[in-house]
Amino acid sequence: MHIVLVGVNHRSAPIDIRERMAFSSEQVPAALSRLREELGLEEAAILSTCNRVEIYGMLPAQEGAVARLEQFLSGHGGLSRTELSPRLYSFWEPHSVRHLFRVASGLDSMVLGEAEILQQVKAAYETARLHGAVGKTFNGLFQRALNTAKAVRTHTGLGRGGLSVGSVAVELAQKIFSQLPEMTVLLVGAGKIGELTLRRLADRGVRRVRVMNRSLERAAALAAQYTASAVPLEHLAMELLDADIVVTSTSAPGHLLTQEDVAQTMRARHQRPLCVVDLGVPRNVDPAVGTLENVYLFDVDDLKGLLDHHHRERQAASAQADVIVDQKVEQFVAWWEAEVRSCEPSSSALAAAR
Amino acid sequence: MVIVHTVSSLLSYVAFLVACGAGALFLIQERQIKRKRMGVLFHHLPSLDQLERVNVLAIGLGFALLTVGLSWGLVGSRLLRGVWWSGDPKEILSATLWVCYCILWLARLRATMRGRRVAWLSVGMFCVVLFTFMGAGALVDSWHPSLGAR
Repeated sequence: MHIVLVGVNHRSAPIDIRERMAFSSEQVPAALSRLREELGLEEAAILSTCNRVEIYGMLPAQEGAVARLEQFLSGHGGLSRTELSPRLYSFWEPHSVRHLFRVASGLDSMVLGEAEILQQVKAAYETARLHGAVGKTFNGLFQRALNTAKAVRTHTGLGRGGLSVGSVAVELAQKIFSQLPEMTVLLVGAGKIGELTLRRLADRGVRRVRVMNRSLERAAALAAQYTASAVPLEHLAMELLDADIVVTSTSAPGHLLTQEDVAQTMRARHQRPLCVVDLGVPRNVDPAVGTLENVYLFDVDDLKGLLDHHHRERQAASAQADVIVDQKVEQFVAWWEAEVRSCEPSSSALAAAR
Repeated sequence: MVIVHTVSSLLSYVAFLVACGAGALFLIQERQIKRKRMGVLFHHLPSLDQLERVNVLAIGLGFALLTVGLSWGLVGSRLLRGVWWSGDPKEILSATLWVCYCILWLARLRATMRGRRVAWLSVGMFCVVLFTFMGAGALVDSWHPSLGAR
């Protein structure tokens, strides 16, 4: 028995090829049964995301298997073999196993260490299981892949740190306020990046949200999505007394908040800490606001700087992660050799039986 | 009599030590946040509000314990030696300490002061606690027992 992998990813193929190769969730069941019935895979799973399309299979013999899978993929994507072949990669165990474990851990992702891929691998496994395409080997393989990803997250800094401006802002806010759900958030300017940050905050359970915009309609529309209330821009000074986290993303020229404004507010709110996230370019908040006591100001450059910092940390962690992956691959292969491979009749025995 | 005085005074020093520790961690964490640097400690230290809560609670508790310790001391002195106050250097230092923590506690309660300032003061004032506890006996004559006494 052998474990094969054939696929394309964001490094091997451009988006227009990946798009054509992708399997929609409706196509997967039929594809899985074709793989098993026509291509002779004993177990199979399809991982299809926007950055990769990969077919994992277990089959008795290596000969011609990759060519058949290439044929299958080129038929599916409506691409000629000559177009597709240079874009495809294929591995046999243990490299195919290592690849899956690295993918699940986010080591093969475009954004190193992102966690979404883990859910996608889980979903690919669930789908295959639901349609009876997996057996003992793939149950073991995928469970260990998920387990590896968890071990990597726990033991290395690979999953640490936000991956977007919004999530870095949330991370900082959490180091100021431990109970985010109890905090009041004031969003000034209903632009895209502000909304994304608001979504990250809402993910962490923030419930009390005020949205402020020059056009109250736009504010109301956004507020409706987050069970927030819309308030007119003129109430800024008053709302500032109440808010714990202020996110600004207006395109207005000049400073929306000056040092004097905020200093006055801080006195009125008895120095209760205030976190200000300024996502505006040009900046909406006077940088001098950050020098005030108990005020924590972050602008876009600060957040980008932290993103870079996270990226470097993740790169450093990826070497550690690979060590864990290698261990897990070894363990899986040992298990598989003992549990599955040793039970199959050897090829000479098979020939004798015929 | 003397035991209550000693134990509650010592426990108040422990509370002030906790306040000092939480204050120091607050200062480190606040500095990292203000400078937008996420050092190694950043992920491991609690959030500012948690550190502040521990700091304030410890100051309050320490102040209460010190109050008990000092008043027991006054009463004990009156009963045993017939005087409320003998002007011992440790008594003067302790009374000063009591006044300082009282001011800090009230200032924090009334929220006239918060965050970094309270943290700095709780670290600074713990140095006075240390001096009261250990150094005073070594430097000046006192009939109070002291770690620094020879």
